[in-house]
Amino acid sequence: MSSPRWLRRLAATLGLRATDREIDQEFASHLDEEIDDLVRRGHSSAEARRLALIRAGGLEAAKERVRDSRGIGWIESLWRDVRYGVRFLRRSPGFSAAAVLSLALGIGANTAIFAIVDNLLLRPLPVANAQQLAQLTSEGDRPNFTNPMWEQWRERTDLTAGLAAFSMNDFNLAETGRTDRVRGLWVSGGFFDVLGVRPILGRGIAATDDRRGGGPDGAVVVLNEQFWRSRFHGDPSVIGRRLTMDHVPFTIVGITPASFFGPAVGSRFDVAVPISAEALIRGKQSSLDRRSSWWLRVFARLKPGQTVGQLTAAMAVEHSRVRSATIPTDWNPEDLGDYMETAGHAIAAPDGGRSYVRGQYRDALVAVMVVVAFVLLIACVNIANLLLARADARTHELSVRLALGATRGRLIRQLLVESLVLSAAGGGLALVFAQWSSQLLVTQFSTFADRIDMDLSVDWRVAAFTAAVAAVVTMVFGLAPALRATRVQPTDALRERGRSERGHARWGVGSALVVLQVALCLALVVAAGLFGRTFTTLAARPLGFDSEHVLHVNMAMPSNDARENAARVERYERARVAVAAVSGVRSAALSVLTPFSNFQWSTRLEKRPNESLTDEQRDVWVNAVGPGWFATVGTTPLSGRDVEPARSSTGPKEVVVNETMARRFFSGRSPIGQVVHEMGNPGVPADDLTIVGVVKDALYDSLRDDAPATMYFQVERGGLPATEMVLNIRLGPEPGANLQANIAAAISTSAPELSFEFRPMAEQVAARLVRERMVAMLSGFFGVLALALAGLGLYGVVSYGASRRQVEIGIRLALGAKPGSVVWLVGGRVAWLIGGGILLGGIVSWWAARFASALLFGLKATDPFTFVMAGVVLMLVGVVAAVVPAWRASKTDAASVLRQS
Amino acid sequence: MGGKTDVWQGTLALMVLKTLETMGPQHGYGIARRIEQTSGDRITLNYGTLYPALMKLEQDGAIVGEWGLSEKNRKAKFYALTKTGRKQIAAAEREWAETNDILAKFLAPERP
Repeated sequence: MSSPRWLRRLAATLGLRATDREIDQEFASHLDEEIDDLVRRGHSSAEARRLALIRAGGLEAAKERVRDSRGIGWIESLWRDVRYGVRFLRRSPGFSAAAVLSLALGIGANTAIFAIVDNLLLRPLPVANAQQLAQLTSEGDRPNFTNPMWEQWRERTDLTAGLAAFSMNDFNLAETGRTDRVRGLWVSGGFFDVLGVRPILGRGIAATDDRRGGGPDGAVVVLNEQFWRSRFHGDPSVIGRRLTMDHVPFTIVGITPASFFGPAVGSRFDVAVPISAEALIRGKQSSLDRRSSWWLRVFARLKPGQTVGQLTAAMAVEHSRVRSATIPTDWNPEDLGDYMETAGHAIAAPDGGRSYVRGQYRDALVAVMVVVAFVLLIACVNIANLLLARADARTHELSVRLALGATRGRLIRQLLVESLVLSAAGGGLALVFAQWSSQLLVTQFSTFADRIDMDLSVDWRVAAFTAAVAAVVTMVFGLAPALRATRVQPTDALRERGRSERGHARWGVGSALVVLQVALCLALVVAAGLFGRTFTTLAARPLGFDSEHVLHVNMAMPSNDARENAARVERYERARVAVAAVSGVRSAALSVLTPFSNFQWSTRLEKRPNESLTDEQRDVWVNAVGPGWFATVGTTPLSGRDVEPARSSTGPKEVVVNETMARRFFSGRSPIGQVVHEMGNPGVPADDLTIVGVVKDALYDSLRDDAPATMYFQVERGGLPATEMVLNIRLGPEPGANLQANIAAAISTSAPELSFEFRPMAEQVAARLVRERMVAMLSGFFGVLALALAGLGLYGVVSYGASRRQVEIGIRLALGAKPGSVVWLVGGRVAWLIGGGILLGGIVSWWAARFASALLFGLKATDPFTFVMAGVVLMLVGVVAAVVPAWRASKTDAASVLRQS
Repeated sequence: MGGKTDVWQGTLALMVLKTLETMGPQHGYGIARRIEQTSGDRITLNYGTLYPALMKLEQDGAIVGEWGLSEKNRKAKFYALTKTGRKQIAAAEREWAETNDILAKFLAPERP
């Protein structure tokens, strides 16, 4: 068989064939040697040349013959094996499809999850010399710093080769109307230099830019290449242009490469501005001088040879100086002890150190990784079973080939190449599947609140991982049957097919594989049960409000707006009134926060006379709401009344409390009319808070925790600057298609300076379940898949066993055995195997489940009900898979079987 | 094809191997000269006969080629025998002896 041209080319490029130049060289040296010899023997040099050429024969023809003679050796025969393998696989499409699909799913799932794990947990930050990066903590493990602390550390340039601070923040590009949100970073001067990120255009943020009041170029912004391309079509003339964010004009000074997604794994930034510009945007609410506003993260680049340990030691020396210079002025004295005592430290952070996304999903990812690893194992066991059965079926063919003179090595190679073709097909399909499913998964993870961005293009590590898995599967499960199959004697070929004694060994290995498969399968079903029940329990939790028909509109005023709070609230109120009049809107109410918004507001109440609550017990969660808010979101009032619009900005404040708070502080007595006080700052008298109503408990920010003690201020009197406010809208039964547009129009005309964005409340709650839903969905999907694979495996083993015992069954039936006893004869053994598998799987999952406890809710990791149910499900699958072939065996026609043998 | 004996490929291969065994590593010209001389100039090897044979032997792993300098300081490819090559010689010699033995019995049968 001549090899195809592409294969020859491949071989040539691989250097497996001597190049033509080499042949030319060899011929030339041969000719010269001969001429030399002839000259020495007395010929003139011209004559010598002529003679030598005559003796050489036609040079071009000779070259051609050399070319022809160098076949491509082993590559060629490998190619033959591959073609033979493909042909063989095509001849048994059922087997091939089953094998390729289980491999594709097993490997694909692993590759997909690995791609995410790699992105989130393994890969180093895309910066120069990431191994020199360390993350600093401010005290203990706390990764956040206040700006005054950062300014102290920033001075000590001698400690490290460079320090860089950042914080993440969304900016709004729209002047008014609908919010146009971009993901931004506050970064310290020299941030990109310290990380070794070189701008592809213009410059980064210089130290001079990061000065209070702006540097020589005023407020500057650096764009990420991706944002620059999508928003400005990669126009290089944007450098020097203005970009208005949160109503503040910035000058674009540079573009950083898209490869640097940002300092936090899992998030991408669009724009970066100096930390000092925070004062321009936040105005009076700026955190630059706040000593208890912990919002910055700090990276350090280690000096050559410096270790994180040495840096920690150097930091410890500086600790008290930094702390005494930044003591929070508004703290209670008893809280300051900790502040002075606990020093921070440096942690090696080549991978970017702590990231919110990473913390959020690490456990879930590890759990899913384990699940898919099990799926791969099951797929492998399945393939091993399939290959075993096939090797058995091919014993005859192989022994004929042995008898005809094929060597054992040759046959083993043939079988290996076949499984290689199999796993290559599976692996190839897996890559496609992985690409698609990891993208899908990340989309599932992302919510409107937390966008998760990853570069999931198949990179060499993912490809290598897939290839490695595929290779291992092939080697292990391809080689074993290959070795067994070639142990046949050529004489076996002369006997009748299927009569060799080796069948029982196969039955043994097959049984072991069944037990293993059932065990693995049970573990997956248990996992699916635990995660599924966790999800349904959480999803079915009474929230204390009705999120179904509520739409949130987050409204924001320019934060440098100089108006007084009351004037701001008045603008929001105007928008509220306008929206309430839109048809399809049932009611509208203002609130500062909304449940599950990721923002928490808490305060500690002063100890009242004759009260025995601890400090922590006096912590209550807070929100500030407008009249009608409880009715709008669907929280049931219990006693007293709703909050009323504040008549003035002074005088007693009204609050509504929830059941838990009423119970904790007033233990059964009615709290209506009682007065509580917030713990104030030293020397400042606290306002009287008169309780006017009690409402039912509602969850605040977590589905896993019970409703905390909660107190609701009047929206005007919450004491927070009203730069943002949420409009809660209860929709009528038929909201109509243009509702959002109508609401937007109502806001824009009534309060044109507001910017706003829509968020359905139900989505906000569902966002909290993303992780649980993902884990439950995946483990459920893979659980079902595992059941199907295990069912197939069982079916195969039982029918194989039945066919081996056909003669025996025939005789038994002929001697009067009842079909029922034959079913038991065939299926009984499988029942034992399933039982063994369930037991083994139960023990393994009992042990392994504890590692998943952190992800569970409402049940223990060793929840007996789940375990029993999983066992029952497997039993059922086993019975179905075993009964069909067993029943068929009992229908054996005794006479025909006996005649055949 | 010249007027002198045309060389059968399999026999040529054995000649090459045997030459390398006695002479040590040789370049193509050296091998050709030696074979021609040993045959008493009854064999002539043109390039089209010699080099395909060398290529084949190299691919079979019986010999290895390596670039070096000839006595005349010229770049040339030197071929050396490998372990596989030595085994091939031994096997061929055995076979030859056997064939020879059998043929001898036919061509010059012993008389009782």
